[in-house]
Amino acid sequence: MRRAFKTISYYSILIALVIGLSRCHDTIDIEPGVDLTHIAYQPVPYSPLIPERFPALEQPHDNHMTIDGIWLGRKLFYDPILSIDSTISCSSCHQQFGSFTDQLAISPGVAGVTSRSSMSLINIGFHHSGLFWDGRVQTLEEQALIPVEDPKEMGESWERVEEKLKDHPTYPADFRKAFGIETATMITRELAAKAIAQFERSLISGGNTKYDRFARGEIFLDENEYNGYLMFFDFEPSVPDAECAHCHNAPLFATSDFFNNGLQESPDFLGFVDKGLGLFTGKPSDNGKFKAPTLRNVAFTAPYMHDGRFETLEEVVDHYNSGGKSSPNKNALLYPLHLTESQKSDLIAFILTLTDSSTLVNEAFQSPF
Amino acid sequence: MKIPFTLFAIAMFISFSSCKDDKEGSFTLHFKPLYDGEPLQMFSTRPGTGTEQIQFTHLSFLISDTKLLTTSGQHDLIDIDYVDLSFDDLEDAEDGFSIKYDEIPEETYLGVRLGVGVPPDLNSKDPSQFASSHPLSKTGYYWEAWDSYIFMKIEGRLDTLGNGNFDTGFSYHTGSDDLYRVLEGLLDIEVEGGKNQDLNIAIDYKNLLEGINIRSNPQNHNPEDSIQIARIVNNFQQSIILYP
Repeated sequence: MRRAFKTISYYSILIALVIGLSRCHDTIDIEPGVDLTHIAYQPVPYSPLIPERFPALEQPHDNHMTIDGIWLGRKLFYDPILSIDSTISCSSCHQQFGSFTDQLAISPGVAGVTSRSSMSLINIGFHHSGLFWDGRVQTLEEQALIPVEDPKEMGESWERVEEKLKDHPTYPADFRKAFGIETATMITRELAAKAIAQFERSLISGGNTKYDRFARGEIFLDENEYNGYLMFFDFEPSVPDAECAHCHNAPLFATSDFFNNGLQESPDFLGFVDKGLGLFTGKPSDNGKFKAPTLRNVAFTAPYMHDGRFETLEEVVDHYNSGGKSSPNKNALLYPLHLTESQKSDLIAFILTLTDSSTLVNEAFQSPF
Repeated sequence: MKIPFTLFAIAMFISFSSCKDDKEGSFTLHFKPLYDGEPLQMFSTRPGTGTEQIQFTHLSFLISDTKLLTTSGQHDLIDIDYVDLSFDDLEDAEDGFSIKYDEIPEETYLGVRLGVGVPPDLNSKDPSQFASSHPLSKTGYYWEAWDSYIFMKIEGRLDTLGNGNFDTGFSYHTGSDDLYRVLEGLLDIEVEGGKNQDLNIAIDYKNLLEGINIRSNPQNHNPEDSIQIARIVNNFQQSIILYP
């Protein structure tokens, strides 16, 4: 009798706890098949602030940015629910303090480490082709689908992610507000990717850097920065041409092109440890070519290159000053520059004028959790 | 009585529409890279000056204001196009880079006119002013120091000693309003309704680099270093072979 009473008390406490805890949520659990149409779907278009001289921010006709779409994308970006063991989110490799890199040579993943260093995501919305270091996808919507099923990155299946999102207490309502779905069963990987892409397009940085203000004629650069500027763009015949702007052209200080920047010596096209663009195109002459990332906020994105081999900007400039290592498809614009220590220092001084530290504390980019 | 009249009108409309289609054809330009008269693929070794050997790694240019010439004037084809001749395979180099223009009125045209580079009105703009699908949106094809698009890129490497060691990279980029050139080729181009007419434009890069000392001046970019690129631009006309 006493034992039965003890058991009933135990279960009563357990039930009370479950009820109590579930009441702590400010949202109501929504079953996957339950009608969501009582939740308002009133998409509010988002108008991004585009810095002067930047190109227009083009958006796919079927995925225009909205306040709710960006909010959902931001949640998904920061939520490890996308990974098999709930340890890795997009933000694990793209952290705000690192201008959306993780400041590691090789990024972590569910299986230990991935294959490459994470690339900064700032201004990624202005890139309309050749995403990833190897250019394997052309849109942010396509890109957002890849890491989830990469065994080294998140190691999860989209089928399982879709189920987790459908069963989640808050995501069905978020998807409803963002995309107007009528039941949680309508949550798909494509919608999740669209939301993440919307958030990524909102990661705009620039406009008030020292360089931007100088370019608008508002301020002067100091003597060292200005000398670096002349070398960076080859404005002045009396200073050396550092050949930087071919791959890192203003205003984004990036291009959508791919280059073999002389990181590895190889007698032929087949000797590259990481084939880069060649992995995607299958063209041997594309082996060893990688996307030129933005130099905006490069002060926060060390270590550098696709494999994080250079820890400092000084090492990077030393590499380019050397002309790089020989291979058949090494870019023709890489040759010994013969820059002096002072000139190298000036070049770095200019590159640091591209720093926008406000990106690192922008509340709109922070984790919503 | 109204129904047969309507049917008659529809039949007449279809009939006239068909007639109109028959009076338009298409026209395709095929740009082909050559070196000393032979098809040129990238990374193939060709004889240079003396014992030097040369390999090309990238060849491209912008064309603009392309027109077919008529007795009464011209038929506009397109404002700007990007031509990439960086073919790794010989077969691809032989096929060339093709641009097809549809809805060309049936006529025997007198020739073709095109600009190499970007005309001044467009060259005063920059890539941020164009949609990403437009050829002039390419930031890698704009050079701040010139306030100009790059009109043409010729890149490669040179084996200066002829020993198989390609020790010198070279890169010639042309640009700026002064170096915009309009070329005209006069030959009959007969466009027939419903058919395609081809025109091949072969560019011999050996002739294009005539008079350029690659070894002593393998790069150019700064605004005061225009002698070499002016020479390349002025070589363009004599480097082109047109054939149907």
